[in-house]
Amino acid sequence: MLRENMSMALHAIKSNKMRSFLTMLGIIIGIGAVIAIVSVGDSMRNVFTDAYKDVGINRALILVSWEVTDFRSSDYFDRDEMERVKEVFHDKIAYIDTNSSVDTEAVNRLKKVKFDFQGVDYNYTDVQPQNIIYGRFINEADVKKAANHVVLEDKGAVQLFGTADCVGRTFRMTVNKNTQEFTVVGVYHKDLSPLAAMLLNNGQKQAGFIPDTVVSPKGNMSQVLNFYVRDGVNMKEFQPEIVKYIAKTKGRKESDIRVMSVVDQMGNVDSKLSAMSAAVGGIAAISLLVGGIGIMNIMMVSVTERTREIGIRKALGARTRDIMIQFLTESALMSACGGVIGIILGVAIVMIGGAVLKTTVIVRPSVVVMAVGFSGLVGIFFGIYPASKAAKADPIEALRYE
Amino acid sequence: MWKKKEVIPDYITQNVSEDLIKLVDMVKIYDTGSIKVLGLKRVNLTIKRGEFVAIMGQSGSGKSTLMNILGCLDRPTMGHYFLDGIDTADLPSDDLSAIRNRKIGFVFQSFNLISRTSALKNVELPMTYAHISKKAREKRALELLERVGLGTRYEHMPNELSGGQRQRVAIARALANEPPLILADEPTGNLDSASSVEIMELFSKLHNEGATVVLVTHEEDIAAFTNRIIRFRDGSLVSDTPNIPVSKREKEESEEPEEPEEPEEPEYQSGDALC
Repeated sequence: MLRENMSMALHAIKSNKMRSFLTMLGIIIGIGAVIAIVSVGDSMRNVFTDAYKDVGINRALILVSWEVTDFRSSDYFDRDEMERVKEVFHDKIAYIDTNSSVDTEAVNRLKKVKFDFQGVDYNYTDVQPQNIIYGRFINEADVKKAANHVVLEDKGAVQLFGTADCVGRTFRMTVNKNTQEFTVVGVYHKDLSPLAAMLLNNGQKQAGFIPDTVVSPKGNMSQVLNFYVRDGVNMKEFQPEIVKYIAKTKGRKESDIRVMSVVDQMGNVDSKLSAMSAAVGGIAAISLLVGGIGIMNIMMVSVTERTREIGIRKALGARTRDIMIQFLTESALMSACGGVIGIILGVAIVMIGGAVLKTTVIVRPSVVVMAVGFSGLVGIFFGIYPASKAAKADPIEALRYE
Repeated sequence: MWKKKEVIPDYITQNVSEDLIKLVDMVKIYDTGSIKVLGLKRVNLTIKRGEFVAIMGQSGSGKSTLMNILGCLDRPTMGHYFLDGIDTADLPSDDLSAIRNRKIGFVFQSFNLISRTSALKNVELPMTYAHISKKAREKRALELLERVGLGTRYEHMPNELSGGQRQRVAIARALANEPPLILADEPTGNLDSASSVEIMELFSKLHNEGATVVLVTHEEDIAAFTNRIIRFRDGSLVSDTPNIPVSKREKEESEEPEEPEEPEEPEYQSGDALC
């Protein structure tokens, strides 16, 4: 009987193709929109997660909170303090620096390019591997001697020298109000999808690395320490340990010390993004409701049009339940067809978008299953009233209907 | 709900009575809200298996009301209607559906085929509601179409068939579940005279093969094909007379006179006689 009902419903849908399609359109658009929006949200979260991984999930910054009212000069960190932290926690901390950077203009004869150099220790590549294409990274000697050596990103190198292969070339820039000559010792390359590049846009500035002893020499004070824990060290468990130590050395309460870890931030952004995509997806789901009402409307018309058919069926032995199931099957099938087309549409939109933005897109199977299930339910729910109207028809009156 | 085994009450499938139709003091009153209209006044009537009966009357005589009650589409207000021994007065509507499905084959004036649905599918319909397998349905529907002379047109849609052909499809459909009673409501009302004669000859043939046929008509020459004519006027049964069918009269005129045959066919064998 189920097969019977299915084939009857298909027959009814097929014999009115245009009308059926227009009726399905509401569901198609609704499901398509929900799938597209949720998938875009998921893909964005993925990009952010990747970006954070890029920044380093083992990374954290520690500082005396900017909220303390009595800020003292001793709240800053100098290099000696940093070295001590490194020693005390050497089994937990893989890398530490003073989070220094130089935001300046590099000058090569007439060419001027804005750069943002990150001050790093020589073992920075242990925690953030770099794809060196020419030369080498900053080494121990560079850091110890505070040598004027830099590593450039290939894009910046091309802007400044016209070629990425510029190891040994020199340029001038101002560091700590002191204009000096710097030598390129290495060039690296970084792959970013256009979407990630858009999200992580750093303006027009080019990137590079410089020994942090150049940017922040001995005696220079830094407000924060930037560190990476070793693999296997739980950041959440390690935080109180280092907070306790810093609070003691600075003579501060533990509550005045802040640790900002990438993991925390990631969770923060992630929950915001998922809340956002859920909200927008919810709004899109309203269009499903509208689609459902469209189905109900057309089923009402169909029931009225087919009054005589209902009368004939009843006269030939169809029971109330048979008619009810016939019309419910029809509306559920119509809605589910719309759902399937909507999924194809939604996934296609996301795929095309992903291809254009060269980003991996994520379509969660659970979302697809939910969408189909929901569209089927919409069809059944909005089919109940028309179907029961049909089922209740009096066969004598229905047979007389013109 | 979908997979539930369909249960047809035993009394519907098993009951067999010599009196196929028995009306006892049957009254039908229409309650239109403000006034009550008396549709049928105390009708007593018995039709035995194997009879070929015409119910006649002007419009408003109550013959359509009677038709609806005989067809279990409506219930009597008072009195009893026994169909094949089953009292239909107090049955729930789903049981009435089952009775219509198993006991009655309907033929309507306006054919009432389902549009945009092939002749074959139309004939299959009552069997679908009797939960007969698709294969068996198709086989039987083809046989029935063959029997009414439409064996090659089973794929045609109703709108591709002439009036006479449509009515043949409807008759094939009426025979689908081998019902003991064929109920025809003005079956020739929408047909030209040539087609009318063909359809009436088909009914005569079915009757000769053992079917019980009750037809409602207001045309004397249609009623003339039957063995018994019952007349209604103003909701009352006014006359009930035997009739010698036209086909037999012609035979008698051409051949030797014979004993006028009373409708008998003592034992109706429900399936085989029709197949």
